[in-house]
Amino acid sequence: MKFGKWLKQQIEETLPAWRDKFLSYKELKKLVRLISSTESPEYGKVDAEAEFVYLLNNEIDKFNAFFMEQEEDFIIRHRELQQGIERVIDTWGPNGTKPSQAEYKDEMAKVRKDIVDFHGEMVLLVNYSNVNYTGLGKILKKYDKRTGRLLRLPFIQKVLEQPFFVTDLVSKLVKECENTIDEVFSVEVEEEIVKVQREAITVAEKLLSMQEIRRGSSTYGHFSLPPLDLPDSDLIHSFQLNSPIPTV
Amino acid sequence: MSSPLPALTSPFKDKYTTLPSSSSSPSIATSDMHVSALTHVQRPQNPTFISQSSRGVASLPPVNSSFPQSTASLNHTPGNEDASWSLDQLQKFLDLPENAAAPAPNQLAESGTDVMASEDHDKKTDWHEWADDFINVPDPDWSRVLDDTNVLDSKLKVSKQQPQFHQNQPAPHGEFSSNAYPSSTTPTKPRMRWTPELHEAFLEAVNLLGGSERATPKGILKLMNVEGLTIYHVKSHLQKYRTARYMPESSEGTSEKKVTSIEKMKSIDLKTSIGITEALRMQMEVQKQLHEQLEIQRNLQLRIEEQGRYLQMMFEKQKKVENEKSGAPSSALDEAPSPLSGLNHLPCNNDKSDSEALHQDKSRIGIDSGNAGSKNEKGTADVSMKQKALETESTHHVEKNDDESGFPVLKRARTEK
Repeated sequence: MKFGKWLKQQIEETLPAWRDKFLSYKELKKLVRLISSTESPEYGKVDAEAEFVYLLNNEIDKFNAFFMEQEEDFIIRHRELQQGIERVIDTWGPNGTKPSQAEYKDEMAKVRKDIVDFHGEMVLLVNYSNVNYTGLGKILKKYDKRTGRLLRLPFIQKVLEQPFFVTDLVSKLVKECENTIDEVFSVEVEEEIVKVQREAITVAEKLLSMQEIRRGSSTYGHFSLPPLDLPDSDLIHSFQLNSPIPTV
Repeated sequence: MSSPLPALTSPFKDKYTTLPSSSSSPSIATSDMHVSALTHVQRPQNPTFISQSSRGVASLPPVNSSFPQSTASLNHTPGNEDASWSLDQLQKFLDLPENAAAPAPNQLAESGTDVMASEDHDKKTDWHEWADDFINVPDPDWSRVLDDTNVLDSKLKVSKQQPQFHQNQPAPHGEFSSNAYPSSTTPTKPRMRWTPELHEAFLEAVNLLGGSERATPKGILKLMNVEGLTIYHVKSHLQKYRTARYMPESSEGTSEKKVTSIEKMKSIDLKTSIGITEALRMQMEVQKQLHEQLEIQRNLQLRIEEQGRYLQMMFEKQKKVENEKSGAPSSALDEAPSPLSGLNHLPCNNDKSDSEALHQDKSRIGIDSGNAGSKNEKGTADVSMKQKALETESTHHVEKNDDESGFPVLKRARTEK
């Protein structure tokens, strides 16, 4: 029941709206058990067999419908995001109609978050496709094992052609997102890194100078501060040495 | 309903329109299957292309009749691939939909007899169109869309002839299946696969018509001028488009709700201490890795199935050789099926080489997952959730494919000789 449990977990952790779109693994397993059980009458078995295949086909239809709908949404959103970025650049960018660094940064931050979330959702859809495919393979294998038939191989071949399994378009959109994010990120991140570095360096310098001042002095008296013990003094020193930015 | 192939299409149409209800009442379907199974017992059986011939007349029919049905449905170019199907098989699975559509009130009575009658003429085209029907799925949203339509549209709905669409080529005209059946099989809810190129064409049309608010589905449809595109596709797409446009303006409500589970995972501390940018970057990294792993896994799965197919083919070739050697083809064929059932349970040494390869891949995947895991120790729970999904998934994937149905069969051939 390991896969069953894992599937349950996946369903629990996925987006709430997606929960009923996954494979009805338990149901199918019950049917397989019914088919192969020794007690049920002949026609009962035949019933279960028919139902099994019927359910399988329904599940595949379900996957296809859901997947293609999501895919359509993704296509629309992808385009909208791209247009959004262009709009931000054209409005608040350096060459825009009303250039404003603050606005640009804000909007870009929003866009960035949107892209990352969008990317995540698409990856979730690819995962969805995979989970269900795996489940189908497993249940078919069980069926083959219990009934001695050879349903799995040909059936799976057909599944491979199904829209929900052919995730090429979504993967392509995912990669495009990654490229976009790299472009959008790089501008912002560099600035931030530089800022952070500068700050780190100034802080380091201040600490070191403080340490210097508070070293044991000849005029050590009542009101003097004790020597400053910096635990990470090596690290702080390295900040100074490795500073790529001249602190002039 | 006045479509040219009423007998064939209506049971299917009904099956699909009543699908939401029937899915919650499997007992109805079951009894129908039962009925069909019993009727099948009286029919002469032919070996199916699965080559699992006489396993017992009673048990075989439902599998045969439903399975060909499924393969028909799953195959959007049935004409090319299934030329080997015998007419008997077609007959068998044509019976099934007729009985499965029991829940439908009026149409079934006539269709029951009609199916029997129409079975014999023009089977191949029937089957194609029926396969089209089968692929189509009812979508709850559609009923709302359809309700909103005006009189003209409802007329369209009734007499709609929809070819089945699948994405074949990137061009806008290429998203329909290569065998564009001018099908009179009118499922009310055809499923279409959109592409970015098609969407571009859509956007162009919308802009020409003055924006998403002013453009009408009819106008867009005309401007786009894409073969097989219906007003329903355009309508639903326009609806989605409008929602997507106005969602960002209304503070990204939908998208936030959608990714709440991911959002919730992000701890506030992380955001404030490391900064949103960093958190986003880590999230992105994890997502990237997960996607990569999923792609690897998918390719593996494809390769495995390919191998299985190849082995199956080899086995069949070998069987042929055996038959020719023995010089008594019919007797060999008869002997072949019965031991087959037992052999599926045999352990097989051939599995090892395959599973070794799989294990290697698995460890590779495991390593990659491990790397991703260590990178994200500071990461959010969301990150770890995706990580977990990834690792256990690759395990499951590999487990499942450890033995092929083709293998035991192959081994058996060897032991026989």
